[in-house]
Amino acid sequence: MNKFDDQATKALLEKNLITENQYQEITSYRNLNIFSLNAELKLFLYLSILLFTSGIGVLIYNNIDSIGHIAILSLLLIVIGVCFYFCFKNSKGFSKSETTFEHPVLEYLVLAANILTCIFIGYLQFQYQPFGTHYGLATLIPTVVSFFCAYYFDNKSVLTIAITGLAAYVGLSVSPQDLVNNINFHQDQTLSYSAIVLGVLLILWTIYSNRIQLKTHFNIIYLTFALHIISIATISSLLEYFEQGIWLLFVVVLAASSYYFYKISHELKAISLYVFMIIYAYIGLNIFIVRIFENIDFSDVWVLFIMILPVYFIGSIIMFIKLIKTFNKEIAA
Amino acid sequence: MIVYDKNLLDNLALVEEANSLESAGFINKEQRNLIKKELPAFKRQSNILVRIGFFLLGAFLYLSICGVIALLGLTGSNSEHTFLNICCYIFAAVGFAGAEILANNKYYSHGLDDAFILGAILNIGFAIAITTEGYELQIAIFTAIASFVMYRRYLHLLSLLVFCLAASAVLFYGMFELGEIAKSFLPFVVMLVSAGFYFFTKRILNTLKQSYYYNGVLLTNSFCLILFYLSCNYFVVRELSVQLLGNEILPGADIPFAIFFYAFTFIVPVVYLVQALKTKDRIMLWISFLAIGFSIYTIRFYYSVLPIEVALTLGGLVLFTIAYFSIKKLKDNEAGLTFKPDRINNSNAILNAEALIVASTFGIKPEVKAPISPMEYGGGGFSGGGSEGTF
Repeated sequence: MNKFDDQATKALLEKNLITENQYQEITSYRNLNIFSLNAELKLFLYLSILLFTSGIGVLIYNNIDSIGHIAILSLLLIVIGVCFYFCFKNSKGFSKSETTFEHPVLEYLVLAANILTCIFIGYLQFQYQPFGTHYGLATLIPTVVSFFCAYYFDNKSVLTIAITGLAAYVGLSVSPQDLVNNINFHQDQTLSYSAIVLGVLLILWTIYSNRIQLKTHFNIIYLTFALHIISIATISSLLEYFEQGIWLLFVVVLAASSYYFYKISHELKAISLYVFMIIYAYIGLNIFIVRIFENIDFSDVWVLFIMILPVYFIGSIIMFIKLIKTFNKEIAA
Repeated sequence: MIVYDKNLLDNLALVEEANSLESAGFINKEQRNLIKKELPAFKRQSNILVRIGFFLLGAFLYLSICGVIALLGLTGSNSEHTFLNICCYIFAAVGFAGAEILANNKYYSHGLDDAFILGAILNIGFAIAITTEGYELQIAIFTAIASFVMYRRYLHLLSLLVFCLAASAVLFYGMFELGEIAKSFLPFVVMLVSAGFYFFTKRILNTLKQSYYYNGVLLTNSFCLILFYLSCNYFVVRELSVQLLGNEILPGADIPFAIFFYAFTFIVPVVYLVQALKTKDRIMLWISFLAIGFSIYTIRFYYSVLPIEVALTLGGLVLFTIAYFSIKKLKDNEAGLTFKPDRINNSNAILNAEALIVASTFGIKPEVKAPISPMEYGGGGFSGGGSEGTF
């Protein structure tokens, strides 16, 4: 308990910024002395699911030859069945708006059931190849299951799994660490086209679900993925394939996506989208400038260049401060 | 000593309070906006993403200024050698100047000021390292002094953290200077010192008058808790004695006082946990969670009691049971310890990161590239064991 919070409330009262009634209400709430373990316990549930499913995954991987396949598969099936049984029993059924379980544990059971299902299908494919060599199908089915769970049980964590599955189907790995390390676009230029198309599709889906009012609180997740996928694909293409003049196309794409996300971040009041949009746009702008000045012989002017650099950064800082300020003002209004 | 206007600092506390009251639903948005308008405030960024962004920009600016100075110095001065000797002092001065200018323009925890303050401290460290040719004790002493001055002047919490680290380094290297016997007592000395400072800062916290020092003292207090735990953790003591003192531990032998350290590795986290729940201290609670995790890691590091996958599975089950029954027990408490979310202090930020963690550990990866390995199927669940082994 921080005694200064109390003092601050009192000071607010003394400056007539809150009413006497409000002050009474606040102090009586503070006097309950609530110490909530809500976030901590939820985090524990979450960690326990991650540990358990990781453990199962490793267990199956290590013992793939020693325990009977049937034994593993049936055990997994039983666990999945039990998880899903509880989820369905306590679920209020599908709803277009946001729903929550009454008991917080169930949310995490959905996650567990979903991850285990993915492991199950992966194992099945590895051992028996029910989908033959249609590897795409083997990713698509977990993806479909995940999308179903995400929408039926209203679970954001499962939705992210589903989106990564969808991206995997097109051949992209969009888990955060892979996006940051930019492993996708080195070998294959066509992948960056599919990435852009995927991003656009995700955006279109948010527009459509907005129109039919289907789980609109999921939109921010879709948009976050779309922003990062499109921007990273275009930026890495800008860096790698500039010889053929094709890079101008990527500049246009980046500019268009930045404009769209500029608009949408204002609409959703989402500062995370806004900040990343600015960062990507800034990186893109810098690459663009470098490309334009590429033909100048730097050996003569590099001293001048270093001298100008601080001015350039001060200019950018002023611009950024302005951008953030206008954003904060607009979402507050 | 503080460069900022004290009224502004008090206002900052009030605005923060208004923000948390608004999110708790005690006052409405109009009222909060009114409060914000009434009270003149700092230019600051409360959003961590924006702050990091400005920190990076500030760092670029700082680097580019240093680049200009280096260019002028190297081309203008007669001897490159002298310039290289003093360049870090100049860079540090640039940092101080930048921090001072920003502070006078009412930038406070904005990101830009972070870059200049931390840059100045870093450069002082480098400068002393160059002058003394890498004499650790002196580097640590001067860094500690510089960061403490920075904290007192700009109330900059990260500098205070640097100060805590540097001060512990002073303690370490100081003990090394004293000779062999002092070295072997190092863990005990660190324990005593951190315990002493813990109670000292605790007392300051209780008698503190100015609200703007609260966070700083709290940080030091928590740092002492962590340092105390680490100084008696078996893993830390054993590895450090191998690394720093060059003691070789033969198979079958053990470090001196091994039983003592083993015992403390487990007693301390439990004491923290109980104490945290008793005094309703959230920071201590989190430290105790991390300490318990690290203690389990310690044991698993030396004795592989169970194969990793069984440990993970069982650990998951045990954790699930603990969480489930705690929720069941606390669910209906109206006051005191409860599962109901607190209206005022909620730590929901962690829960928002959940989806991100799931995406990074269990994201489905494309399998077309390497269809030979089952690693590609279920995702990171197969390979993500290492980092999670701590729990």
